[in-house]
Amino acid sequence: MSIFQIRPNYSSLARCAPITEKPGTDRAMRVAIQRARRGKKAAPFGQQQAFDSAIAKLVRAIPVDAQVGDWFANESPIPSVKRRWKKILLNPAVLAIALAVAVIGGVFVYHVREHLRDFPGADKARRLLSVATSTRSVLLDPLQTDAGALSDLFFMKHRLEHYDIPAEFADFRTLGSRVFDDDEVHGVAQIWVVEKRMQFFLFPAGKNPKDGSVTDFSDWRFVELEGWTGAVQQRNGVCFMAAIRGREKDLAPYLEKRKQ
Amino acid sequence: MTGDASKAQAALQDTVREAALRSARDEPPSDRLWFFRDARWRCLAVSEQDLQAEPGILEEEAEISPGAPMQIEKLDPNQLAVWISAAPEPQRSALSLFYLDEFSLREMLVLLEMTAGELSELISSGRRQFQAWLDAATPYEGE
Repeated sequence: MSIFQIRPNYSSLARCAPITEKPGTDRAMRVAIQRARRGKKAAPFGQQQAFDSAIAKLVRAIPVDAQVGDWFANESPIPSVKRRWKKILLNPAVLAIALAVAVIGGVFVYHVREHLRDFPGADKARRLLSVATSTRSVLLDPLQTDAGALSDLFFMKHRLEHYDIPAEFADFRTLGSRVFDDDEVHGVAQIWVVEKRMQFFLFPAGKNPKDGSVTDFSDWRFVELEGWTGAVQQRNGVCFMAAIRGREKDLAPYLEKRKQ
Repeated sequence: MTGDASKAQAALQDTVREAALRSARDEPPSDRLWFFRDARWRCLAVSEQDLQAEPGILEEEAEISPGAPMQIEKLDPNQLAVWISAAPEPQRSALSLFYLDEFSLREMLVLLEMTAGELSELISSGRRQFQAWLDAATPYEGE
Protein backbone atom coordinates (compact mmCIF):
# COMPACT_ATOMS: atom_id res chain seq x y z
CA MET A 1 0.00 0.00 0.00
CA SER A 2 2.76 2.41 0.80
CA ILE A 3 4.39 4.32 -2.02
CA PHE A 4 7.61 4.40 0.00
CA GLN A 5 9.16 1.26 -1.32
CA ILE A 6 12.87 0.53 -1.08
CA ARG A 7 13.25 1.30 -4.79
CA PRO A 8 10.28 3.31 -6.03
CA ASN A 9 9.10 2.50 -9.54
CA TYR A 10 9.42 6.01 -10.89
CA SER A 11 7.88 5.30 -14.29
CA SER A 12 4.86 3.78 -12.57
CA LEU A 13 4.58 6.79 -10.27
CA ALA A 14 4.90 9.19 -13.20
CA ARG A 15 1.87 7.55 -14.83
CA CYS A 16 -0.27 8.78 -11.94
CA ALA A 17 1.48 12.11 -11.50
CA PRO A 18 -0.76 14.76 -9.94
CA ILE A 19 -2.51 16.97 -12.44
CA THR A 20 -1.68 20.16 -10.58
CA GLU A 21 1.25 20.87 -8.30
CA LYS A 22 0.27 20.10 -4.75
CA PRO A 23 2.24 21.27 -1.73
CA GLY A 24 2.18 17.89 0.03
CA THR A 25 3.50 15.81 -2.87
CA ASP A 26 5.71 12.96 -1.71
CA ARG A 27 9.41 13.07 -2.45
CA ALA A 28 9.27 9.87 -4.52
CA MET A 29 6.58 11.39 -6.70
CA ARG A 30 8.54 14.64 -7.12
CA VAL A 31 11.58 12.63 -8.22
CA ALA A 32 9.42 10.59 -10.61
CA ILE A 33 8.04 13.79 -12.18
CA GLN A 34 11.49 15.34 -12.52
CA ARG A 35 12.83 12.19 -14.18
CA ALA A 36 9.88 12.00 -16.52
CA ARG A 37 10.28 15.65 -17.53
CA ARG A 38 13.99 15.35 -18.20
CA GLY A 39 14.19 11.80 -19.51
CA LYS A 40 13.64 10.24 -22.90
CA LYS A 41 9.91 10.07 -22.33
CA ALA A 42 9.55 13.80 -21.73
CA ALA A 43 7.29 14.24 -24.78
CA PRO A 44 4.80 11.45 -23.91
CA PHE A 45 4.80 12.68 -20.33
CA GLY A 46 3.98 16.19 -21.53
CA GLN A 47 1.10 14.77 -23.58
CA GLN A 48 -0.11 12.83 -20.57
CA GLN A 49 -0.08 15.99 -18.43
CA ALA A 50 -1.95 17.96 -21.08
CA PHE A 51 -4.45 15.11 -21.47
CA ASP A 52 -5.03 14.92 -17.70
CA SER A 53 -5.36 18.70 -17.38
CA ALA A 54 -7.97 18.79 -20.12
CA ILE A 55 -10.00 16.02 -18.49
CA ALA A 56 -9.70 17.61 -15.04
CA LYS A 57 -10.96 20.87 -16.54
CA LEU A 58 -13.91 19.00 -18.02
CA VAL A 59 -14.57 17.26 -14.69
CA ARG A 60 -14.75 20.66 -12.98
CA ALA A 61 -17.35 21.65 -15.54
CA ILE A 62 -19.63 18.71 -14.66
CA PRO A 63 -22.76 20.35 -13.22
CA VAL A 64 -23.12 19.80 -9.51
CA ASP A 65 -26.49 19.71 -7.82
CA ALA A 66 -27.18 22.98 -6.03
CA GLN A 67 -27.78 21.27 -2.69
CA VAL A 68 -24.53 19.32 -2.84
CA GLY A 69 -22.76 22.47 -3.96
CA ASP A 70 -24.07 24.26 -0.87
CA TRP A 71 -22.66 21.55 1.38
CA PHE A 72 -19.18 22.16 0.12
CA ALA A 73 -19.48 25.87 -0.63
CA ASN A 74 -18.06 26.97 2.67
CA GLU A 75 -15.43 24.32 3.21
CA SER A 76 -12.85 22.45 1.24
CA PRO A 77 -13.72 18.81 0.58
CA ILE A 78 -10.19 17.95 1.58
CA PRO A 79 -9.30 19.94 4.64
CA SER A 80 -5.75 21.15 4.61
CA VAL A 81 -3.46 18.85 6.49
CA LYS A 82 -2.92 20.27 9.92
CA ARG A 83 0.48 19.32 11.11
CA ARG A 84 -0.04 18.26 14.66
CA TRP A 85 2.66 19.23 17.10
CA LYS A 86 2.80 15.74 18.52
CA LYS A 87 3.36 14.27 15.08
CA ILE A 88 6.01 16.87 14.29
CA LEU A 89 7.81 16.24 17.56
CA LEU A 90 7.82 12.49 17.00
CA ASN A 91 9.44 12.88 13.60
CA PRO A 92 12.86 11.16 13.83
CA ALA A 93 14.61 14.06 12.10
CA VAL A 94 13.06 16.58 14.49
CA LEU A 95 13.91 14.34 17.44
CA ALA A 96 17.52 14.03 16.29
CA ILE A 97 17.84 17.79 15.80
CA ALA A 98 16.20 18.48 19.16
CA LEU A 99 18.53 16.01 20.85
CA ALA A 100 21.58 17.56 19.18
CA VAL A 101 20.47 21.07 20.16
CA ALA A 102 19.81 19.88 23.72
CA VAL A 103 23.28 18.33 23.95
CA ILE A 104 24.94 21.43 22.50
CA GLY A 105 22.86 23.62 24.82
CA GLY A 106 23.76 21.44 27.79
CA VAL A 107 27.47 21.63 27.03
CA PHE A 108 27.20 25.40 26.52
CA VAL A 109 25.34 25.90 29.81
CA TYR A 110 27.85 23.64 31.59
CA HIS A 111 30.75 25.72 30.29
CA VAL A 112 29.03 29.01 31.06
CA ARG A 113 28.20 27.80 34.56
CA GLU A 114 31.71 26.52 35.09
CA HIS A 115 33.28 29.78 34.02
CA LEU A 116 30.65 32.10 35.47
CA ARG A 117 32.52 32.41 38.73
CA ASP A 118 35.95 32.24 37.19
CA PHE A 119 38.70 34.39 38.59
CA PRO A 120 42.35 35.05 37.73
CA GLY A 121 44.15 31.83 38.53
CA ALA A 122 41.09 29.58 38.13
CA ASP A 123 42.88 27.57 35.45
CA LYS A 124 45.84 27.02 37.75
CA ALA A 125 43.49 26.00 40.55
CA ARG A 126 41.78 23.43 38.29
CA ARG A 127 45.13 22.06 37.23
CA LEU A 128 46.13 21.64 40.87
CA LEU A 129 42.80 19.94 41.58
CA SER A 130 43.83 17.35 39.01
CA VAL A 131 47.11 17.01 40.94
CA ALA A 132 45.07 16.47 44.11
CA THR A 133 43.10 13.65 42.50
CA SER A 134 46.28 11.75 41.64
CA THR A 135 48.43 12.50 44.68
CA ARG A 136 49.45 9.62 46.95
CA SER A 137 50.54 10.31 50.52
CA VAL A 138 53.94 8.75 49.88
CA LEU A 139 54.80 11.62 47.54
CA LEU A 140 54.77 14.10 50.41
CA ASP A 141 57.33 14.54 53.18
CA PRO A 142 55.78 13.35 56.44
CA LEU A 143 55.15 16.30 58.70
CA GLN A 144 52.82 16.40 61.68
CA THR A 145 52.12 19.92 62.86
CA ASP A 146 49.49 22.64 62.58
CA ALA A 147 48.98 23.83 59.02
CA GLY A 148 49.39 27.45 60.09
CA ALA A 149 52.95 26.71 61.20
CA LEU A 150 54.07 25.82 57.68
CA SER A 151 54.22 29.44 56.46
CA ASP A 152 57.56 29.91 58.17
CA LEU A 153 58.83 26.62 56.76
CA PHE A 154 57.96 27.63 53.21
CA PHE A 155 59.66 30.99 53.64
CA MET A 156 62.75 29.73 55.42
CA LYS A 157 63.37 26.61 53.37
CA HIS A 158 61.98 27.54 49.95
CA ARG A 159 61.97 31.34 49.94
CA LEU A 160 58.25 31.38 49.29
CA GLU A 161 56.93 34.63 50.68
CA HIS A 162 53.35 35.14 51.87
CA TYR A 163 52.53 31.43 51.65
CA ASP A 164 50.16 31.83 54.58
CA ILE A 165 47.40 29.44 55.60
CA PRO A 166 44.08 31.27 56.15
CA ALA A 167 42.81 31.27 59.72
CA GLU A 168 39.93 28.93 58.78
CA PHE A 169 42.39 26.12 58.11
CA ALA A 170 45.39 27.14 60.23
CA ASP A 171 44.57 24.75 63.09
CA PHE A 172 44.27 21.62 60.99
CA ARG A 173 46.83 18.88 61.66
CA THR A 174 49.02 18.00 58.74
CA LEU A 175 50.14 14.59 57.48
CA GLY A 176 52.77 15.82 55.04
CA SER A 177 53.82 18.57 52.68
CA ARG A 178 55.94 19.24 49.65
CA VAL A 179 56.96 22.06 47.33
CA PHE A 180 57.12 21.34 43.62
CA ASP A 181 57.11 22.93 40.20
CA ASP A 182 54.35 21.91 37.84
CA ASP A 183 54.60 22.30 34.07
CA GLU A 184 52.39 25.36 34.20
CA VAL A 185 52.51 26.40 37.84
CA HIS A 186 55.81 27.03 39.59
CA GLY A 187 56.41 27.18 43.29
CA VAL A 188 53.45 25.13 44.43
CA ALA A 189 53.20 24.18 48.07
CA GLN A 190 51.01 21.17 48.78
CA ILE A 191 49.86 20.18 52.25
CA TRP A 192 47.95 17.04 53.20
CA VAL A 193 45.82 17.36 56.36
CA VAL A 194 44.11 14.80 58.57
CA GLU A 195 40.70 16.47 58.39
CA LYS A 196 38.69 14.61 55.73
CA ARG A 197 41.97 13.96 53.84
CA MET A 198 41.81 17.51 52.53
CA GLN A 199 44.71 18.98 50.58
CA PHE A 200 45.85 22.59 50.65
CA PHE A 201 47.67 24.27 47.81
CA LEU A 202 49.52 27.57 47.82
CA PHE A 203 50.66 28.96 44.50
CA PRO A 204 51.45 32.30 42.85
CA ALA A 205 48.36 34.20 41.73
CA GLY A 206 47.69 34.78 38.07
CA LYS A 207 48.67 38.19 36.74
CA ASN A 208 46.50 40.39 34.56
CA PRO A 209 47.91 39.88 31.04
CA LYS A 210 47.31 43.55 30.18
CA ASP A 211 49.12 45.33 32.95
CA GLY A 212 50.74 42.53 34.93
CA SER A 213 48.86 43.49 38.07
CA VAL A 214 47.52 41.03 40.62
CA THR A 215 44.06 41.59 42.08
CA ASP A 216 43.55 39.92 45.42
CA PHE A 217 40.19 38.75 46.70
CA SER A 218 39.33 37.87 50.26
CA ASP A 219 36.09 36.00 49.57
CA TRP A 220 36.07 32.30 48.75
CA ARG A 221 35.72 31.26 45.15
CA PHE A 222 35.17 27.73 43.98
CA VAL A 223 36.44 25.47 41.26
CA GLU A 224 35.31 21.90 40.52
CA LEU A 225 36.96 19.04 38.69
CA GLU A 226 36.22 15.33 38.53
CA GLY A 227 34.37 15.17 41.85
CA TRP A 228 36.80 17.43 43.66
CA THR A 229 36.04 20.96 44.81
CA GLY A 230 38.47 23.69 45.68
CA ALA A 231 37.83 26.84 47.73
CA VAL A 232 40.25 29.54 46.65
CA GLN A 233 41.28 32.77 48.31
CA GLN A 234 43.97 35.17 47.16
CA ARG A 235 46.07 37.42 49.35
CA ASN A 236 49.36 39.21 48.77
CA GLY A 237 49.65 37.72 45.31
CA VAL A 238 49.41 34.14 46.57
CA CYS A 239 46.45 31.84 46.10
CA PHE A 240 45.38 29.40 48.78
CA MET A 241 43.17 26.50 47.79
CA ALA A 242 41.55 23.97 50.09
CA ALA A 243 40.69 20.92 48.02
CA ILE A 244 38.26 18.22 49.11
CA ARG A 245 36.73 15.21 47.42
CA GLY A 246 33.12 16.30 47.30
CA ARG A 247 31.04 19.32 46.56
CA GLU A 248 30.95 22.94 47.61
CA LYS A 249 28.62 22.13 50.50
CA ASP A 250 31.29 19.84 51.99
CA LEU A 251 33.65 22.80 52.28
CA ALA A 252 31.04 25.26 53.44
CA PRO A 253 31.16 24.36 57.18
CA TYR A 254 34.88 25.16 57.32
CA LEU A 255 34.44 28.49 55.58
CA GLU A 256 31.48 29.52 57.73
CA LYS A 257 33.38 28.75 60.93
CA ARG A 258 35.58 31.78 60.40
CA LYS A 259 32.61 34.08 59.83
CA GLN A 260 31.05 33.00 63.11
CA MET B 1 -19.43 7.01 -10.03
CA THR B 2 -23.09 6.03 -10.09
CA GLY B 3 -23.88 7.62 -13.43
CA ASP B 4 -26.88 9.20 -11.76
CA ALA B 5 -26.50 12.45 -9.84
CA SER B 6 -29.57 11.84 -7.67
CA LYS B 7 -28.26 8.46 -6.53
CA ALA B 8 -24.86 9.94 -5.78
CA GLN B 9 -26.52 12.73 -3.82
CA ALA B 10 -28.57 10.23 -1.83
CA ALA B 11 -25.41 8.23 -1.05
CA LEU B 12 -23.64 11.38 0.08
CA GLN B 13 -26.61 12.35 2.25
CA ASP B 14 -26.50 8.92 3.89
CA THR B 15 -22.78 9.41 4.57
CA VAL B 16 -23.36 12.80 6.15
CA ARG B 17 -26.21 11.37 8.22
CA GLU B 18 -24.00 8.50 9.39
CA ALA B 19 -21.29 10.98 10.38
CA ALA B 20 -23.83 13.03 12.35
CA LEU B 21 -25.06 9.92 14.16
CA ARG B 22 -21.52 8.93 15.03
CA SER B 23 -20.81 12.40 16.33
CA ALA B 24 -23.97 12.29 18.45
CA ARG B 25 -22.68 9.05 19.97
CA ASP B 26 -19.34 10.75 20.71
CA GLU B 27 -17.71 8.57 18.11
CA PRO B 28 -16.96 11.06 15.31
CA PRO B 29 -15.19 9.78 12.20
CA SER B 30 -11.58 9.50 13.22
CA ASP B 31 -10.14 9.76 9.73
CA ARG B 32 -10.57 12.77 7.47
CA LEU B 33 -10.88 10.44 4.49
CA TRP B 34 -13.70 8.57 6.21
CA PHE B 35 -16.36 10.65 4.36
CA PHE B 36 -14.95 9.80 0.96
CA ARG B 37 -14.38 6.15 1.78
CA ASP B 38 -17.91 5.78 3.14
CA ALA B 39 -19.48 7.66 0.24
CA ARG B 40 -17.54 5.54 -2.24
CA TRP B 41 -18.76 2.28 -0.74
CA ARG B 42 -22.34 3.56 -0.71
CA CYS B 43 -22.04 4.57 -4.35
CA LEU B 44 -20.62 1.15 -5.20
CA ALA B 45 -23.47 -0.53 -3.34
CA VAL B 46 -26.01 1.59 -5.25
CA SER B 47 -24.37 0.94 -8.60
CA GLU B 48 -24.35 -2.82 -7.99
CA GLN B 49 -28.13 -2.74 -8.25
CA ASP B 50 -27.96 -1.03 -11.65
CA LEU B 51 -27.06 -2.36 -15.03
CA GLN B 52 -23.40 -3.31 -15.06
CA ALA B 53 -20.86 -2.29 -17.67
CA GLU B 54 -20.66 -4.84 -20.41
CA PRO B 55 -17.40 -6.76 -20.33
CA GLY B 56 -15.10 -5.60 -23.03
CA ILE B 57 -16.90 -2.32 -23.58
CA LEU B 58 -13.72 -0.38 -22.80
CA GLU B 59 -11.21 -2.88 -24.06
CA GLU B 60 -10.24 -0.83 -27.08
CA GLU B 61 -7.18 1.29 -26.42
CA ALA B 62 -5.19 3.96 -28.25
CA GLU B 63 -2.07 5.89 -27.42
CA ILE B 64 -2.61 9.44 -26.24
CA SER B 65 -2.50 11.76 -29.20
CA PRO B 66 -1.08 15.32 -29.14
CA GLY B 67 -4.50 16.60 -30.18
CA ALA B 68 -6.33 14.95 -27.28
CA PRO B 69 -6.80 18.19 -25.29
CA MET B 70 -8.58 19.74 -28.27
CA GLN B 71 -10.74 16.65 -28.69
CA ILE B 72 -11.63 16.81 -24.99
CA GLU B 73 -12.58 20.47 -25.26
CA LYS B 74 -15.30 19.54 -27.71
CA LEU B 75 -16.91 17.15 -25.22
CA ASP B 76 -19.88 17.85 -23.05
CA PRO B 77 -18.97 17.36 -19.35
CA ASN B 78 -21.85 14.94 -18.93
CA GLN B 79 -20.37 12.73 -21.65
CA LEU B 80 -17.25 12.34 -19.55
CA ALA B 81 -19.33 11.63 -16.43
CA VAL B 82 -21.24 8.93 -18.27
CA TRP B 83 -18.07 7.42 -19.71
CA ILE B 84 -16.40 7.22 -16.28
CA SER B 85 -19.53 5.78 -14.65
CA ALA B 86 -19.57 3.07 -17.31
CA ALA B 87 -16.07 1.90 -16.43
CA PRO B 88 -15.77 -1.24 -14.31
CA GLU B 89 -14.68 -1.11 -10.71
CA PRO B 90 -12.10 -0.38 -9.40
CA GLN B 91 -11.07 1.58 -12.51
CA ARG B 92 -14.14 3.77 -12.18
CA SER B 93 -13.21 4.82 -8.64
CA ALA B 94 -9.58 5.28 -9.59
CA LEU B 95 -10.40 7.56 -12.52
CA SER B 96 -13.02 9.47 -10.50
CA LEU B 97 -10.64 10.19 -7.66
CA PHE B 98 -7.69 10.94 -9.93
CA TYR B 99 -9.47 13.41 -12.18
CA LEU B 100 -11.18 15.15 -9.27
CA ASP B 101 -7.63 16.38 -8.67
CA GLU B 102 -8.33 16.81 -5.00
CA PHE B 103 -6.44 13.88 -3.54
CA SER B 104 -2.76 13.15 -3.15
CA LEU B 105 -1.45 9.80 -4.32
CA ARG B 106 -1.21 8.59 -0.74
CA GLU B 107 -4.85 9.54 -0.08
CA MET B 108 -6.01 7.80 -3.23
CA LEU B 109 -4.16 4.64 -2.24
CA VAL B 110 -5.81 4.72 1.17
CA LEU B 111 -9.28 5.31 -0.29
CA LEU B 112 -8.96 2.70 -3.01
CA GLU B 113 -7.03 0.20 -0.89
CA MET B 114 -4.59 -0.64 -3.64
CA THR B 115 -0.90 -0.24 -4.43
CA ALA B 116 0.68 2.57 -6.42
CA GLY B 117 1.47 0.13 -9.23
CA GLU B 118 -2.15 -1.03 -9.46
CA LEU B 119 -3.44 2.54 -9.46
CA SER B 120 -0.89 3.56 -12.07
CA GLU B 121 -1.96 0.69 -14.31
CA LEU B 122 -5.66 1.49 -13.94
CA ILE B 123 -5.17 5.17 -14.74
CA SER B 124 -2.87 4.65 -17.70
CA SER B 125 -5.17 2.01 -19.22
CA GLY B 126 -8.10 4.37 -18.56
CA ARG B 127 -6.30 7.10 -20.50
CA ARG B 128 -5.75 4.83 -23.49
CA GLN B 129 -9.35 3.61 -23.41
CA PHE B 130 -10.67 7.14 -23.18
CA GLN B 131 -8.42 8.17 -26.07
CA ALA B 132 -9.86 5.31 -28.16
CA TRP B 133 -13.37 6.44 -27.28
CA LEU B 134 -12.41 10.06 -28.04
CA ASP B 135 -11.06 9.07 -31.44
CA ALA B 136 -14.39 7.45 -32.19
CA ALA B 137 -16.57 10.20 -30.74
CA THR B 138 -14.67 13.31 -31.84
CA PRO B 139 -12.03 12.42 -34.42
CA TYR B 140 -9.00 14.70 -34.35
CA GLU B 141 -8.79 16.75 -37.51
CA GLY B 142 -5.58 18.62 -36.74
CA GLU B 143 -3.22 16.42 -38.76
